[in-house]
Parts: sequence; C-alpha cells; structure tokens
Amino acid sequence: MASTLARILMNLTVYPFLILWTVGTIAVFPAAFFIWKATTRWPTDRIVRLFIWIYGRGWIVMLAPFVRFHRKGFEAVKPLQPMILVVNHSSFFDTYCMALLPFYNVSFAIRSWPFRMYWYAPFMRMANYLDVEGLGWERASRRAREILDRGGNVLFFPEGHRSRNGRLGRFYSGAFLLAMETKRPVLPLVLSGTDVLLPPGRLALRPTRIRLEALSPLDPVLFSGPGAHIELKKAAKNAIAHRLRELRPEP
Amino acid sequence: MRDSEIVEKINSALAEEFELDPASMVPEATLFEDLELDSLDLVDMVIVLEQTFGFKIREEEEIRSIRTLGDIHAFVIKKTHQVLQSP
Repeated sequence: MASTLARILMNLTVYPFLILWTVGTIAVFPAAFFIWKATTRWPTDRIVRLFIWIYGRGWIVMLAPFVRFHRKGFEAVKPLQPMILVVNHSSFFDTYCMALLPFYNVSFAIRSWPFRMYWYAPFMRMANYLDVEGLGWERASRRAREILDRGGNVLFFPEGHRSRNGRLGRFYSGAFLLAMETKRPVLPLVLSGTDVLLPPGRLALRPTRIRLEALSPLDPVLFSGPGAHIELKKAAKNAIAHRLRELRPEP
Repeated sequence: MRDSEIVEKINSALAEEFELDPASMVPEATLFEDLELDSLDLVDMVIVLEQTFGFKIREEEEIRSIRTLGDIHAFVIKKTHQVLQSP
C-alpha cells in the first residue's frame, strides 16, 4: 500500500517538476551563460556542459524523495586526465544519471535521435555532443580527439541503445578505437537501478536505488596488435558484465 | 578444408565476436540491415576473419563489395582455396 502510494506520488510530482525545471533552466540559461562567459572566459562548450550537469543535479534532487542515489569508485579517478567513459544503457534517464559523476566536463557521443528533442538539441550542440550516427565515424572521432585534447571527457553508451531485455548487449567499437588512437584511458562505469526506474516501453516511474560505480580504468597502452581495440572492448565489457552480475542476477 | 567447414568457421567466429543469433545467420542476411552491423564492425570483421583463417584480407578490393553474409562466405572460400593452391 505504501509503495503504491509512493509510486503514485512520484509520478504525480516528478514529471511536472521536470517540465518546470526544464522550462526554468532554459529561461535562465541566456543570462547565466553570458555572466559566466564574461566572468570566466571559458569556452562555450565547457560552460554548457557545466550547466547541463547542474540541470542533471536538479533532476537528482527532484527524485531524491523516491530514489536512493549512490556513487562509488571515483576516489581513485583522476579528474584532470581526459578519459573515455563507457557505461551500460538501460533507460531513457541514464543520461540524466550522469550528473552523479563528480566532474562535469563530459561530451556525450550518442546516436541521432536525441538531437531531435528540440528543447534539448541547441544545448547538446553548444556542449559539443557528438552525433556519431549523423557525423559518421571519421568526423565524430576527429571532434572527439579535439575534445580530449582540450581537457574534456567523452562518454559512450557502447551498446548503442537501451537494453530491451535487461541484459548487457553487444558493444560497438567506436569508444575503443578512439582510446587506441588517442591512448586515453577507458573508464568503465556500471549504472544499475535505472532499469527499474524506467525501462524501455514504460512511462510510469518506479521508486528504486540507483548506483553509479567507476571500475578500474583500462590503459590502452597495455593492448597491442591489429585487434587491440577488440581486446580492449572485451576487457571493458567483461568488467561491466561481471559487476552487473554481482549487483543483480540475470533476468 | 571443405566449403561447409569454412562456412561453419566463419559463422562461429562472427557469432562470437558480434553476439549474433545463429538463426539470423543465413547467407542472404545483409550485414547492415539484418545483422545490424555498422561500418566500424566491418573493420572488426576483417580482423576477426584474418585471425581465424591466418591470412590477410584487408587490402583486398573485393571486400568493398560485400553486402551479405553469403558474400563473406564466397569471398573467404575463394581466398582459402587461393592460399592452399599457392606454392
């Protein structure tokens, strides 16, 4: 009974608050952006990534009465060293959960469809998010290298789409080719609980626990030969799959 | 090695690498639409086939015209016979 009430209350409050928070953030953004830009002289993409991260933190606060968030394993991560982040993908809200990261300077390498959300698209473009599908790999990887060279991190969902069955899907190679080309470390991230919060095909949210855990970074220098990126991909996938199995049994 | 053994070896290597459903691995399956591979997967596919069969194919012009799993079978079978016949 209590859990049903919590679920009803969650759905009655979170979605309206999310709309208000989104509209409010968009309204405040131009003034905040110009003040920040004038004060810090940061590049545009870095400022917008910071604001997106703050927007995500607001979403986390909104969900906090119904969802317990937990972050683990970032103590050993050096935030000043640009990295390629790879994370499993179960829910539309996985991107919002990236506000759990202890650093904000992250560009998302994603497919084309999120750029069709017209209320988010201008910010995604200003933040230099990578439309890997639309740009093609050559252009996307060139821009990713530029982001890494300027101190940003690049995040991939290597499964390419949300899991439809709760299992970790096969990994595409882009993130790992980029790691081999740039010699930047790959940081595998394990996100659990969002498959309960909002799995694909559902609209109603459910209370849950969400956990974002950083595993040991993988150094591409340790992989060699023509199939090095494939081995790196397997190592990242095995690490994420192993941790997910520990956190939740296979469905 | 018989042609059927080569086909089996190809399918087994690709199924393992790309986590393909064996039922979907019919010769007429297109790589992009039916097997949902992307352009980077084709790079991986060449590496996997080279490692599986022990010969180089990345410079072969014929690879560019491959569209279906059946094309891969035919290409690797032809290449295997060439390698076996070469002195």
